[in-house]
Amino acid sequence: MPERERALQSLRSTPHDVGPTADDLLALVARGDEAAFERLYDVVTGAVFGLIRRVLRDQAQSEEVFQEVMLEVWRTATRFDPARGSATTWILTLTHRRAVDRVRSAQAATHREDRAARLDPARPFDEVSEQVEGRLEQRQVRRCLSFLTDLQRESVLLAYYQGYSYPEVSSLLGIPLGTVKTRMRDGLIRLRDCMGVTG
Amino acid sequence: MRTASADLHTLTGAYAVNALSDIERAAFVAHLTRCQSCAIEVTELAATAARLGVAVESPPPPQLRARVLAAAAETRQLSPHTARVPDPRRKRWAGGLLAAACLVAAVFVTVQYSQSDQERQLAQLSSEYSRFSDFLSTPDAKLINGRAANGATGTAVVSASRDEALFLARDLPQAPDGHTYQLWRIGADGDPHPAGLLDSRSSPVVVSGLTGTQEIALTVEPSGGSEQPTTPVVMAMPVG
Repeated sequence: MPERERALQSLRSTPHDVGPTADDLLALVARGDEAAFERLYDVVTGAVFGLIRRVLRDQAQSEEVFQEVMLEVWRTATRFDPARGSATTWILTLTHRRAVDRVRSAQAATHREDRAARLDPARPFDEVSEQVEGRLEQRQVRRCLSFLTDLQRESVLLAYYQGYSYPEVSSLLGIPLGTVKTRMRDGLIRLRDCMGVTG
Repeated sequence: MRTASADLHTLTGAYAVNALSDIERAAFVAHLTRCQSCAIEVTELAATAARLGVAVESPPPPQLRARVLAAAAETRQLSPHTARVPDPRRKRWAGGLLAAACLVAAVFVTVQYSQSDQERQLAQLSSEYSRFSDFLSTPDAKLINGRAANGATGTAVVSASRDEALFLARDLPQAPDGHTYQLWRIGADGDPHPAGLLDSRSSPVVVSGLTGTQEIALTVEPSGGSEQPTTPVVMAMPVG
């Protein structure tokens, strides 16, 4: 397999501080390369677990969903289409979807009602603000979030970090369904422009 | 009046943060196959949302690494999609099928499943559900929502041109023994007309004959249904 050799070669010659990107690795994983999967695991695992843990909060459930997600990355890597976004986006989209599926599954319903009742809508941003002090891209996220209106920020973060549906966000914030939909959209558009995301 | 596609277009953000109900998600995925600007926006907003995920990074317990790698070593990967000769009709059909598959998957497939089971189920059900996929691709499809006092929610895709609506409930409690949920079409005069029974609390129901209907309502009735509602309305959704 000369093509694969070349790909591996280029990975080995990549300077250590840069390292192969998730996109490089996922392309190799799609061809059944277990060593590449091992490296991909190390590259994306913090974001995958962090997001699941943030949405689910429960450590045991988070570990369970995390293992399911990582195995699904391995299993479905063959279906990844680079034309439709980066490997990191693909993996985190899958991750968020699975975390939210778990939140919405019947077993979790009662816990969630308790959580909704306790929830202070201002909390998600404060928590992000505390956590994202450190790294450069985290600081960028924090800075860009501060450019959103309160409603935009709360709508986006309640859905993303708490796993709430937009009717749930609407009821928590006491604003109409249509407004939540548009705030989620224009909030994300403002974030996209601030971060210079191109897809 | 805003058009249905404008309504659907505003869902890009809610879709990117997974805030849509199953049925809206299916309707939106069907819409994506016909709306290139929506598809581009979704790609960008999904990438934006992913940055929020990266921002809360936190390492998993180290012992999971060996477990995941060992599981991967014993798991067969999906076969890749192969290139097809483009054919616009086939593409439309595929979009519809995808929407049906999403809907069917959302409704019937539980969290734990084996891939081969899912694929078999989808193949089997996609033919039965071609009606739904057609429905979700109707250009004037419009979404309406309702909420019950107990927190259950209802969503319907309404198509005036087809004179039909597709209704799906979520989180409905089990009806009491010997009872079932029944849908009603409420006319301008307030008269209820029977509009079908919910076979299960999570299967979609097609409501036909919407002309003159102001609201779709849900009540609990004795098994087999009633001619007139015998209990208070659990949930009502304005169709207009």
